[in-house]
Amino acid sequence: MALLSNTTVLLGKELRTEFRSRELLTTTTVFVLIVMVLFSFSFDPTSEESRRFGAGLLWLAFLFAASLMLQSCFLREQTSDTLSALRLSVSDPFAIFLAKLAANTLFLLLTELLLLPVFAVMYNVAVLPTLHWLVLVFFLGSLGVSIAGTALSAISAQARMRELLLPLLLLPLLTPILVASTEVTAALFDRSPYVQWKGVGFLAVFDLAFLTILWLLGEYLVEE
Amino acid sequence: MKKSVLSAMVVLLLLGVAAYAAFFVAPTDAKQGVIYRILYLHVASAWTGLTSFFICFIANSLYVLRRQPRWDWLGVSAGETGLVFTTVVLLTGPIWAHPVWGIWWTWDARLTSTFVLWLLYVSYLLLRTLVEEPDRRALLSALFGIFAFIDVPLVFGSIRWWRTQHPQPIIMGAPGAGLDPTMYRVLFFTWLAMLGLMTLLLRQRYRLEAMRGDLEIIQRELEAA
Amino acid sequence: MKNLNSVFAAYMIGWTVFFVYYISIARRTSVLREDIERLKNSLSRGK
Repeated sequence: MALLSNTTVLLGKELRTEFRSRELLTTTTVFVLIVMVLFSFSFDPTSEESRRFGAGLLWLAFLFAASLMLQSCFLREQTSDTLSALRLSVSDPFAIFLAKLAANTLFLLLTELLLLPVFAVMYNVAVLPTLHWLVLVFFLGSLGVSIAGTALSAISAQARMRELLLPLLLLPLLTPILVASTEVTAALFDRSPYVQWKGVGFLAVFDLAFLTILWLLGEYLVEE
Repeated sequence: MKKSVLSAMVVLLLLGVAAYAAFFVAPTDAKQGVIYRILYLHVASAWTGLTSFFICFIANSLYVLRRQPRWDWLGVSAGETGLVFTTVVLLTGPIWAHPVWGIWWTWDARLTSTFVLWLLYVSYLLLRTLVEEPDRRALLSALFGIFAFIDVPLVFGSIRWWRTQHPQPIIMGAPGAGLDPTMYRVLFFTWLAMLGLMTLLLRQRYRLEAMRGDLEIIQRELEAA
Repeated sequence: MKNLNSVFAAYMIGWTVFFVYYISIARRTSVLREDIERLKNSLSRGK
């Protein structure tokens, strides 16, 4: 129970820090928007083509955005030297990760939901009929990205060239997320949309697997 | 010195016999003709590479638990040899695929996941070059190595389920169903020879890393003095 | 015996990769040895 209360307190801190400036959310949203516009030049964005490529494009944009957004997650603690204080304040360091990954999932999900209408309009894809399923996929996908990304940002924050290193470590690791969420999203964008339960289950398995390793390894990731 | 020369000779002999068997003992495949003989090198390298990555994973886990430098040395050595074998897999694959499938590369499950695997371990080695302090480098790369290895089955599963347009390709598909017993034997023998080669390379690389570790300790002591 | 050249090429490439890797280990080891020698020399001179 201490884990839960610690996590809530830390999550509150993360959210307060972000919503005071909204720096992360603004920059990430603008970044995804730019990628969306630029992607439209790489193929003919008619609705038929968009239905085929749209889902992949969307998830690639999210993945790139996440790999940039997650940089600051541990770097902030490092530059202001608050990591040791953070570690002393909780009994289980896993709480630090839980709070950070919950906050990151929330930020990613917010960005995604904010940009989904823009995407739907620009690429002429109907998203309303399957919105609730899309939210589920976005949630499971973002959760997976955040779990792996939070863990790896704790690693990359301690290395040189960290800005370049995180995408390098993270993106190949996220291949399963990209493949599964793209497939599920594409099925939902289809002319006759359907829910690909296999993909949803796969995303849940990914999330669970990475959460378990993070739970086991978390304390070593923030070791002094 | 004598021992290492002797073991190198044994491994070379094994490799020579394996190549001889692959070319002259194993029967020619009825459908593919002579080109399928690449597969002995290709498949055996793939298995050996995976073995190497598995050793890397074990070493990484042991480092995290025990914090003895030797597990770090074994980890980086196994990661590197695994990468070398996987490189051979990625290079020989297209040479085989071109005459058989008519294309050099296809985004098929096995090819793609091998490529992602290769990228993951390139990142693993790259991470090591970017952390100065030896203990920190050992810990961080070990942790990333564990994440990478756990990711491998997920990568493979996701690509296999959604990304294989072709029906299962010829490897383990058509001839695999009724692989000739001689072919099996030759394949396993080649794998054995490759494992010998891996052990040889791994040992040399481990010695190099151990030497480097010792040097780092001396340098640190000198700086402290 | 169609494609025999490709088979040879593949085996050549494979063995070359292993050989190059072996050489690279040997080279790195000898460079490291030199470093250690140099360190030892500078140490004994320093004393």
